[in-house]
Amino acid sequence: MTLLASFAHEDAALDAARALRENGVDGVDLYSPIPLHGADEALGLGKSMVRVFTLLGGILGAIGGFTLCVWTATRFILPTAGRPVITLPPYLLITYESTILLGTLMTLLGFFVVARLPAWRDRTYRASSNVDRFVISVAGPGASDAEEILRAAGAESIEREESE
Amino acid sequence: MSATRELMFDHGQPSYSEVNNDVINALTTTTWRYWVTLGISAGTALLFFVAPWIYQIIVGVGAAGMNRNAMWGTYLSNFIFWIGLSHSGTLLSAVLHITQSDWRKSIYRSAEAMTLFSLMTAAMFVMVHVGRVWFVHWTFPFPNPMELWPNFRSPLMFDVMAILTYLTASSVFIYMGSLPDFAAVRDRSTGLRRRIYAVMCFGWRGTAHEWHTLGWAYTFFAVLVIPLAVSVHSIVSWDFAMSTVPGLHHTIFAPYFVCGAIYSGTAGIVTVMWMLRKFMGFGRYIGQLHIDNLSKLLLVLSLIWTYINICENFSGWYSGTSFEYEAILYRIWEGPFWWLYWEMILFCAVVPLVLFSRRIRTNWNLMLVISILINIGMLTERFVIVASSLPRKFLPDVFGTYFPSLVEISITVGSFAIFTTLFLLFVKIFPAVSIYEVKETLNPLRRREAHT
Amino acid sequence: MSTIRDKLREYRTAGYYTEFEYHWTMAVDLDRCTGCEACVVACQAENNLPIVGEKRMRQGREMKWLRIERYWDGDYPDARLNFIPMLCQHCDEAPCEIACPVFATYHNQDGLNAQVYNRCIGTRTCAVYCPYEVRFFNWFTYTWDEPLEQQLNPDVTVREKGVMEKCTFCVQRINRAKDLARDEDRRVADGEAQPACAQACPTDAIVFGDRNDPDSAVSRKLEDPRAYKVLEELNTHPSVVYLKNAREPLAGHEDDDHHGEESDSHAASPVMWSEESSEAVA
Repeated sequence: MTLLASFAHEDAALDAARALRENGVDGVDLYSPIPLHGADEALGLGKSMVRVFTLLGGILGAIGGFTLCVWTATRFILPTAGRPVITLPPYLLITYESTILLGTLMTLLGFFVVARLPAWRDRTYRASSNVDRFVISVAGPGASDAEEILRAAGAESIEREESE
Repeated sequence: MSATRELMFDHGQPSYSEVNNDVINALTTTTWRYWVTLGISAGTALLFFVAPWIYQIIVGVGAAGMNRNAMWGTYLSNFIFWIGLSHSGTLLSAVLHITQSDWRKSIYRSAEAMTLFSLMTAAMFVMVHVGRVWFVHWTFPFPNPMELWPNFRSPLMFDVMAILTYLTASSVFIYMGSLPDFAAVRDRSTGLRRRIYAVMCFGWRGTAHEWHTLGWAYTFFAVLVIPLAVSVHSIVSWDFAMSTVPGLHHTIFAPYFVCGAIYSGTAGIVTVMWMLRKFMGFGRYIGQLHIDNLSKLLLVLSLIWTYINICENFSGWYSGTSFEYEAILYRIWEGPFWWLYWEMILFCAVVPLVLFSRRIRTNWNLMLVISILINIGMLTERFVIVASSLPRKFLPDVFGTYFPSLVEISITVGSFAIFTTLFLLFVKIFPAVSIYEVKETLNPLRRREAHT
Repeated sequence: MSTIRDKLREYRTAGYYTEFEYHWTMAVDLDRCTGCEACVVACQAENNLPIVGEKRMRQGREMKWLRIERYWDGDYPDARLNFIPMLCQHCDEAPCEIACPVFATYHNQDGLNAQVYNRCIGTRTCAVYCPYEVRFFNWFTYTWDEPLEQQLNPDVTVREKGVMEKCTFCVQRINRAKDLARDEDRRVADGEAQPACAQACPTDAIVFGDRNDPDSAVSRKLEDPRAYKVLEELNTHPSVVYLKNAREPLAGHEDDDHHGEESDSHAASPVMWSEESSEAVA
């Protein structure tokens, strides 16, 4: 069973989320039309793991870009313009670009992995939370205790949804 | 903070649901005028860009006006113009995101779209430019039976890598920024459109966890895009500066091109903003504050641009080499394109000086004219650089001239139609104003009155 | 470990080659050049260069791997014509070679600046970078009217539209000489490999040979005090050496050569020569 409480005000929703957390209710989620300052702390979200992906992507791109230049240049040696086969300034430029390319792509991957997207299936969700409502959902065993806390925090409406 | 909030909206703040209504209605309701405009611009693109290009592929690049002396012509100068135009959107958006400037939020989506589509147009020009377009994939590093790889020592390969990265990064940047808005469109629509947007938004629900992750990822994209954008136009300038050609072989070219690129891109944004206000009804979201800030930026950039131009001519004169001196003289006075040079000075250095006046800065119609003049100036700037340097390099016996042919002129005109077509498609696919970020700039929905 | 270090040293050597197998060099004696253009015609015939016609010639799209540049000395009526045959200089540090994104042009083991037609995608950057303007682009696919296609040289490729081309020092002749020499287990003898232009020159103004061989005719020419290289100050290290035209100065220009550097601005030739050589002439 999932409990869905709708709020008209962001501070009310944040207060409710905080109260639920203090009472030890698990499975709380907060849906909002805009990113809420304070939601991270109210729901206990720390630094995102995305940054690890970005770092890895950057390192991978730097190594990969330079290796690509050196490896391809030494496979089939075609000397040009009195330059050595392994020429640092141009290869560092390619490295610079590939660092950013891989950094971007890995950040994208990191976003999908961390946010658990894409999720092209029906999930618990209220369309109003993309307009002007702040919705708190409580899933699992804690749902029965949560109703009181949510109502006390000023929920406009509370719905129940039987989970599959 | 609240002061800017009031300034940002000329006609009072909309409510949250009004933002959704305004932006999504602009996306979903399509008048016959839109279809006519789309038809005209797509037709122009076909007739003026695709048809001459096919003709050129059949007969050879000789269809263009280039010759032994001027191996590069308008194709390359237009390529640089479009790359330049692409520079403001993503760069400005990223810089303003990092510095947390709220006024960015209602204009950045269209600015980024401009980036993306001018980059695509620029990439088209690379293909129009090369002699054997059917082998253009050889510039990509892929394993092949010939065991030949591209030459990573070539400035053109820097270009390939830079543009590829920029295209990828700016597509990712605009798409990720639109994810929550796709979800909003999905929730308001039915039928096929709903299914398409459900796929496009990847099942976005707006949970705190998703917002949190998006916020982190988006900041990283912004941080990665800024040095990238600066590098892209520097690299494009090195296509020129790494040659020995007098008039192109300047160390100042990288900052010159980057500054010129942001300059022309910002002017492009002003033009697009005017269009959005006029034809898409976004006057409520794009107001006095935006045009004032953009104009101040234009003014600063025009001053930098003027300074670099003076530097360039001064170093040509001061260098003491007759080649360099004569190249400058040919460009500004003796050559057939001296009038284009002075036109560019007039439009890019003199006209923008009127922006010192606040009354002119906040006058939308006047700003439209100024921004278009600036971009005409920037278009000719690139042409002048190419067309006045290459025909006269070192050996006087082979001095020549260059004048674009009809095919080149037509393709130049057609490229604007291609850009317009892409942009018209964009405004019906992407919410042209960011819904959730505009909401962020509104007064927050709080039960208690905000004291901050 | 030591192999890695060796490899690294090899790959970090500027220009990759420490020594060319043959260092093909051309010396052009401007004193002997009469501007008869026999070399131009020979080049045209040998290398299957298309005749572009009057219209395209006027558009500046002629195909002449070798051209005779003309510069006037003095003012009419005391004028004198100077000729300078201009062809690909096969620079050892060629500006064109850095430009190509697909390795269509590179430096081969003989010090030749090679152009690979198959690989060329036609960005034309090499031609823009070339300060001597000796690279030519196939703006169209050129055809030969019947029966002229019968005269095409079977040893040389016919190029299609969109491809860059330039003087090869008649690489087909060099390769034939090298093959012959290899069969006989010897080095190519001096004068054995001759490009069409050198062969056709009636006054022997063009001398071609291997610079690695100190006794070759071209090596002796290089020691001539009149020797200079065109646009040497661009640091391109050309393989074509010109011997300066050392005629009597024209009336009214007697003291030209005594000014050293200054004489450049008056001299009809746009080329600059190194200070030693110009002093040696003076």
